[in-house]
Amino acid sequence: MNPNKRAPHVILLTILVYFFLYAPIFVLVTYSFNASKTNIVFTGVITQFGDLKLVDGNVMQSPCGPFHWFCELGKNQEVMNAAKNTLVIAFISTFSATVIGTLAALALQRYNFKLKTFSEVALYIPIVIPEIVMGIGILTLFSQIFSYLNNSFGLSGDGRLGLGLTTVILSHITFSIPFVTLVVRARLQGFDQSFEEAAMDLGANEVVTFWRVTLPMLLPGVLSGALMAFTLSLDDFVITFFTNGPGSTTLPIYVYGLLRRIITPQVNALSTVWILVIFLAVFLLQWLQNREVRS
Amino acid sequence: MLRKLRENKSFQGILLISPTLLFMIGLLILPLILTTIISFGSRNSDGGVIYSFTLDNYIRLAGFSTSCDNGATSCFDPLYAQILWRSLALALETTIIVIILAYPLSYFIARASAKRRNTFLFLVLVPLWTNFVIRVYAWMMILRTEGVLNGVIGAVFGFLHIPFTPLNMLYTPGAVLVGMVYEFLPFMILPIFTSLEKIDNSLYEAAADLGANSIRTFLRVTLPLSMPGVVAGTILVFIPVMGTFIVSDILGGRQVILVGNLIQRQFLDARDPTFGSAAALILMVMTLVVTYFYTRKFGFGEEIVIG
Amino acid sequence: MKKRLFLWKGLAALVVLSLMLTACGGGSATTPATSNQPSTAPAGGGAPTATTVKAATAVPPTAASAGGTTNVPPTASSGGVKVTAASGFLCPQPNPKLNVTSKELNLFVWTEYIPQDMLDCFEKVYNIKVNRDEYSSNEEMYAKISAGGTNYDLVQPTDYIVSLMIRQNLLQKFDQTKLPALKNYNPTYMNLPFDPGNQYTIPYQAGVDAIVYNEKKVNPPPTSWEDLWKPEYAGRMVFLDDSRVTIGMTLLTLGFDPNTKDPAQLDQAKAKLAKLIPNIKLFDSDSPKTALIAGDVDLGLTWTGEAFLAQQANPAIKFVYPKEGAMLWQDNWAIPTGASHTDAIYAWLNYSLQGDVFWLMLRDFPYINPDQAALDYAKTNQQDLYNKYMGSNITNVPPDAFKNGHRITDVGDALPLYDKIWTEVKGSK
Repeated sequence: MNPNKRAPHVILLTILVYFFLYAPIFVLVTYSFNASKTNIVFTGVITQFGDLKLVDGNVMQSPCGPFHWFCELGKNQEVMNAAKNTLVIAFISTFSATVIGTLAALALQRYNFKLKTFSEVALYIPIVIPEIVMGIGILTLFSQIFSYLNNSFGLSGDGRLGLGLTTVILSHITFSIPFVTLVVRARLQGFDQSFEEAAMDLGANEVVTFWRVTLPMLLPGVLSGALMAFTLSLDDFVITFFTNGPGSTTLPIYVYGLLRRIITPQVNALSTVWILVIFLAVFLLQWLQNREVRS
Repeated sequence: MLRKLRENKSFQGILLISPTLLFMIGLLILPLILTTIISFGSRNSDGGVIYSFTLDNYIRLAGFSTSCDNGATSCFDPLYAQILWRSLALALETTIIVIILAYPLSYFIARASAKRRNTFLFLVLVPLWTNFVIRVYAWMMILRTEGVLNGVIGAVFGFLHIPFTPLNMLYTPGAVLVGMVYEFLPFMILPIFTSLEKIDNSLYEAAADLGANSIRTFLRVTLPLSMPGVVAGTILVFIPVMGTFIVSDILGGRQVILVGNLIQRQFLDARDPTFGSAAALILMVMTLVVTYFYTRKFGFGEEIVIG
Repeated sequence: MKKRLFLWKGLAALVVLSLMLTACGGGSATTPATSNQPSTAPAGGGAPTATTVKAATAVPPTAASAGGTTNVPPTASSGGVKVTAASGFLCPQPNPKLNVTSKELNLFVWTEYIPQDMLDCFEKVYNIKVNRDEYSSNEEMYAKISAGGTNYDLVQPTDYIVSLMIRQNLLQKFDQTKLPALKNYNPTYMNLPFDPGNQYTIPYQAGVDAIVYNEKKVNPPPTSWEDLWKPEYAGRMVFLDDSRVTIGMTLLTLGFDPNTKDPAQLDQAKAKLAKLIPNIKLFDSDSPKTALIAGDVDLGLTWTGEAFLAQQANPAIKFVYPKEGAMLWQDNWAIPTGASHTDAIYAWLNYSLQGDVFWLMLRDFPYINPDQAALDYAKTNQQDLYNKYMGSNITNVPPDAFKNGHRITDVGDALPLYDKIWTEVKGSK
């Protein structure tokens, strides 16, 4: 067996790195109970339900007690709207990018065609381009297109084409596709095609073969790519800033703007909720795994 | 037509890639072409673009400004070269530290039982799913003078009755480095993990049979086979670090100026999109060149990434 | 393995979906708890206050008791129904109530600059949905607006960028006949050089960039821009990350015009500014009060709102207008070309500028308030707030400080010069 498996120094380093990864998370969660409006210094956990005397002398009414900032968060329409937008954008762009990227991976891995090299280079670009360049470039492009279309079709008022959820989703798809393609392509490289050949021999056409043989075998790669696209979309700031419009604010943009001006524990409360949701999903998965193993 | 589709493999390929091409050309290539055109233009007094052909922006980037302090006609101004150098150095430092930190963790996860592996992996991903900006801001809370770190150290020192002046950690280049390492660590862990996971156990058994101790096994078996993962991870870390501006803005007190900050400033505060476009293109070309030579030497590691 | 991952994705989707649904549903919470304003002064004092921060008890309506200045007694047009905001704030009636057909209003405004109560009340009273997108710098706003393709109805440009936007045909003229609220303004803030006749802008809030310091840690206190160069301030200052203001201030100490385009003068400023850098611990144009309150710095260059909030958190923090003259600025409402909900725009402007509505700025965002009607209203109905406002040299600027002040204007071609100096000086560390 591998002698390195249970080496103590590896375990120690691992614990340290995990600690490093989670220390800020811990700080974030703790500060979401901060008994201070400005959230600059941690003055202690909110302990009472009702009136709370703050360090600077003001009185803060906190009927929710320690969960004051969570209650405030629930009442904050802006944040809820931004969260909703973020999720909508992430889901739609992830789905689209995954489908498109998987098709692209298949094309690049298994076929030869004239535009192959061009496609490969083109897919490489979003990885190396500075986000702000892409953001401003896309903004300029959309603006020109919209002003042209608006003028030609005489659109005005609420019917005018403009930046919004759609433009953000389109740009998210654009920067996600290369990552999905990369991941799926990697998966395709070691792919055993004998199963597909067997299916075809048995009379299935290309589409059926793909759907019932190729795709299921490819699924881990596809899902990993989807996961990556989802993560990228969820956190994107620069490109979203330049391509969004009225009412399509996302969480990163809202948080960035908010953090820059007023620092409030509400944002911490939001992070805490977010983290809780993810942990919930992870534990559920573990539980399901265990059930599957047992049965 | 359907028959043609079935028989012509090349046509099939093009069909599959066409949606991708649509997006790439429409929302990537076209804007890039626009950027390139703009970089050869000049700035009008309102910050707009005068479409002409001039190399002034590139000359300025190279350091040869046309207006000099002592009235000479041409002089070398190392400002932008310095900024570039600083960014390269930071990206390099970040990558190296990230590799050092990521490797043991990836190793541990790769060697864990299959059941636990997913959990450990998701534990790595969870911080990534909180907001990027919030994570940077969390480091502010930790590193500031009245922050968590000084509080903890102060408490320890106070317990030991040693006098303690709070450390000045925030708004320094060191804080920026910490922030960068933290942000990009998961992007190195995942690729290295994937390549380590693929190493067949039988290789280790063979090495043990041949009498290799743990160090030799590591150097001769593990490390070389994990290189594709390291390469993929380096690309995923090095390039973004070169272009990020948020971390250096928030943790560096706006004093650590990297290439990303420079470009962002040109498009916003300086209203000089021609110069900004030129800088952005140079950055892109540089990263392309570096990546090309790097992958030539070490392989692209494309069989790794994630999954 | 694949089945598991599939399940996971399905589960995650379900969990997230439920979160989304609760978000949509939970957004309409109207529990009358506190309004969590960042700079709340206790809203007590004065007899018939309309803003009981607790649950909506029967409180006498505010509009009728307005300090009798410019507000005409309300018409009964909205049926006299009492409307409250989510925080329990009793919404004044719009006066005059305009006829509006638009259902939405798209605002593109500074982050955290409009009181939530003001927005809530407008939405309820006019039944118009307000969409708010935010920015944290004029440059961000300008980049978005000048690229076109956006459907915003109102923006909030600061004075120095207004002339640029007018030149670029990005703003449209106001129809002043539709703005009866114009008479609410204090003339000091009207008809300023950047927009003569207020054709394109009307004031929102004004402010000053000056010196802030902690009197317990800085003795003797600074009185001029020149003082900031003192070596004993090394590493103790917070400065605005603003090339124009900082270089402009340096130019003032050299006796030059802060908006100069002369490269020779700018070179001198660069040399002098380089000597100031060791004194500066951080640049922060977003929340400089944070570093002050946290004790990271002892003094610096900041603006009205931040200084006021810092002083609230720590009374030892003082604001002083330097001898050479401070930097005045003003944020304004402006209508971008292509705005579509014109009637909603004027409804919003007239409503928000009412004395019994705009006084909320005193409560939530302490800047210099150009709306005299709001101040008059506060004088009678929110005396605590009013006294705080008038009693502080930050919000109640001494007249000669105002007269001595300078304004940053657009410098056109010279802007890259300023930026280069800024990059060089900052990057030299």
